[in-house]
Amino acid sequence: MEVERQVVGDILALATLPFRSDIARDRFRKAQLRAAEDTLRLAAEVRRTYYRAVAANELVVLFTDAKSTAESTAQLAEQLGRTGSLNKLDQAREQAFYAETTADLAALRQEAASSREQLIRLLGLWGGDIGIRLPQRLPTLPGRPRSLPRIEVDAVGHRLDLQMARIELLALAKAMQLTQASRFVTLLDVAGIDKKTRELEGPPFKERGFDIQFQIPVFDGGEVGVRQATEIYNQAFNLLTEKAVNVRSEARNAYRVYRSTYDIAGHYQREVLPLRQIISEEMQLRFSSMQVDVFALLTEARQRLAVLRAAIDAKRDFWLAESELQTAVNGGGRRAGEEQPSGSRSTTTAQAGGGH
Amino acid sequence: MLSRRRFIGTAALVSAGAVSGRVQAAAIPEAPIMEKAVMQPPLHPTSGPDYRPVVTLNGWSLPWRMNGDWKEFHLIAEPVVREFSPGMKVHLWGYNGQSPGPTIEAVEGDKVRIFVTNKLPEQTTVHWHGVLLPNGMDGVGGLNQPHIPPGKTFVYEFQMKHSGTFMYHPHSDEMVQMAMGMMGMIVVHPRDPNFRPVDRDFVFIMSTYLIDPGTYLPKVTEMTDFNMWTWNSRVFPGIDPLAVRLNDKVRVRIGNLTMTNHPIHLHGHSFSVSCTDGGWVPESAQWPETTIDVPVGAIRAFDVVADNPGDWAFHCHKSHHTMNAMGHDVRNFIGVSKKDLAKAVGKLAPDAMVMGSTGMAMGEMEMPAPDNTLPMMTGSGQFGPIEMGGMFTVMKIREGLAPDDYSDPGPYKYPAGTVAFEVAAPSEQPMRKDKPASIPKEGDMKAKKRMKG
Repeated sequence: MEVERQVVGDILALATLPFRSDIARDRFRKAQLRAAEDTLRLAAEVRRTYYRAVAANELVVLFTDAKSTAESTAQLAEQLGRTGSLNKLDQAREQAFYAETTADLAALRQEAASSREQLIRLLGLWGGDIGIRLPQRLPTLPGRPRSLPRIEVDAVGHRLDLQMARIELLALAKAMQLTQASRFVTLLDVAGIDKKTRELEGPPFKERGFDIQFQIPVFDGGEVGVRQATEIYNQAFNLLTEKAVNVRSEARNAYRVYRSTYDIAGHYQREVLPLRQIISEEMQLRFSSMQVDVFALLTEARQRLAVLRAAIDAKRDFWLAESELQTAVNGGGRRAGEEQPSGSRSTTTAQAGGGH
Repeated sequence: MLSRRRFIGTAALVSAGAVSGRVQAAAIPEAPIMEKAVMQPPLHPTSGPDYRPVVTLNGWSLPWRMNGDWKEFHLIAEPVVREFSPGMKVHLWGYNGQSPGPTIEAVEGDKVRIFVTNKLPEQTTVHWHGVLLPNGMDGVGGLNQPHIPPGKTFVYEFQMKHSGTFMYHPHSDEMVQMAMGMMGMIVVHPRDPNFRPVDRDFVFIMSTYLIDPGTYLPKVTEMTDFNMWTWNSRVFPGIDPLAVRLNDKVRVRIGNLTMTNHPIHLHGHSFSVSCTDGGWVPESAQWPETTIDVPVGAIRAFDVVADNPGDWAFHCHKSHHTMNAMGHDVRNFIGVSKKDLAKAVGKLAPDAMVMGSTGMAMGEMEMPAPDNTLPMMTGSGQFGPIEMGGMFTVMKIREGLAPDDYSDPGPYKYPAGTVAFEVAAPSEQPMRKDKPASIPKEGDMKAKKRMKG
């Protein structure tokens, strides 16, 4: 997140250096900010696509193994048909898992290939560079989730769309030839963040990244000649206020999603998967002591597969949420109306094993 | 406590003074506790009429005391931990430290007073199965007597009018208490020591349990699908062998409190039922058998002359009853190529061994099992694995055993040339008149469309 902020900060610095200039320069600056936000948006899109592609890779590995298991048991079922031990109904049941797993694997391979292609497009790769190798596994969960008590302050201070709205407002003031500012407020004031409260939360606030005091002038419309201009300005000011409040809310929500996806993914790693491991081992003991036969193991393997898939999905959702957290603070998120980062796209097999 | 335990297997307690009468009944006799699951030496009477005592497989006889002309016993109904065989312990209910309870021995005509202390968490009673006694002593809770509440002691008084073999078990929440292992044997010796005397007299009771692999407590609501078939709550190889001196006359008394019949088969001999829980079978009514079917809720005693030396298998002839816990919903893998089976198993259970493609014989190798679970078939003899479990043991007939020596004499030493042996077989298949019917090929599926991944 820091690296990204610095890169974008450089773009921003270009925009903000010759600050006290005329309106045209302000408009130009705003265009530069928009370019910076597009950069952030692209970076966010790259991150999302990357995690989708790697998650798909991990699922492909899982299902390749599952398919080979299903294949060998399907062959066994076929043989048992020949020896006279398995009727057509049961043979079909064992073959069905193989057929379903094969279909799932094909779909997953397709998804992995597509998201990889999308990533190549986003990165603008061509020629020899398209041979990039993506990891086969998502990174493991961090040991503990980030604690971000000042995320709302961060977001209001850093969101590029908010800065753009502020510059637009300043440009408007100049266009309206408003000069008599009665007082100045900052974006934090606008968003309703109390500067004093943040000191209660431990280490003193340390501004990083964009080191600018975002001041916004407030005009009073005393003179008749400028009253209309003041009203137009005030309207824009109120829109900025609304935006700042929304940015706070988005930051809060992004952190909440981040924490809950962390907890869910962690729950799979710490609770669900170890339990499935015990089930798996105990079933194997029952198999080796002649309590169950090999097809009971297969049923167990199907349930396990569904859970392993859900665990990978949960891990992917965490990394997507982690990415959203960055866009909530720095900007570059989706524009309104774009699709939400949806979690599970489960297919038939995800539920297939759960028939018990 | 210690003195009480040291006293086990030595002799019956004789009360200090000559006491008699009902008043003295209030003084309750000692209740010995047994901590071992191996056969205890026969308990020779030190008072009262003499008799040749029985031995109980993996069990013991309850010591008593004389109180006037009454023989006084003390049973304690209580939770116990019973070892079925090394490697498996089961939480049961029983009497005096073990399940089943101790064998009660008396003599025809004895007046017995049996104290029953209830240390179970629920009420109980004791019914004296097969003993002909006054109605109020029959032990059916609610019908013949109040149930014995937890913590209370009741006393039963009656006369053993007939000799024979009987059983005791609760008749109070009977299904649960019997499924939990509450039962025992009663042997009433003839007053006349010359009535059908034998040299060795063995006794045991059969019970069944359903104990899920990995658990320690029987499922008491099971009616048919049991997985532990026990003799005195023991399974092979945990059941004591029957050590017998060559040419001894041997009696084996078998009680059945399971929910199915058990055809009990002794190899190498022919014998007859001499006694049921209804009394002695007249010799004129006996017929020779090699398998005695013991019905549900009955006893059968057979007398056999052990005139054939060796190690003779002695078991229930229902083949599932000579297995330990096994799954019943397991497909038949005979005829499948071992390679294909290994491939499927290797994927699903990397640590397991491939079994079943030629049968289930596992050889010497024993596979890992869930906690507290015995191998389905196990045990080994001098020639290899015995591959048995459940209701199986061995009658070991040897020359020169001491009269009261019931210890395991070890494997039989076969005289040279008396064991089946391998011969050099011709390499070609033996000539057959007709070719065997071939197995129909059409088991496989017609429409098998597989996607290629």
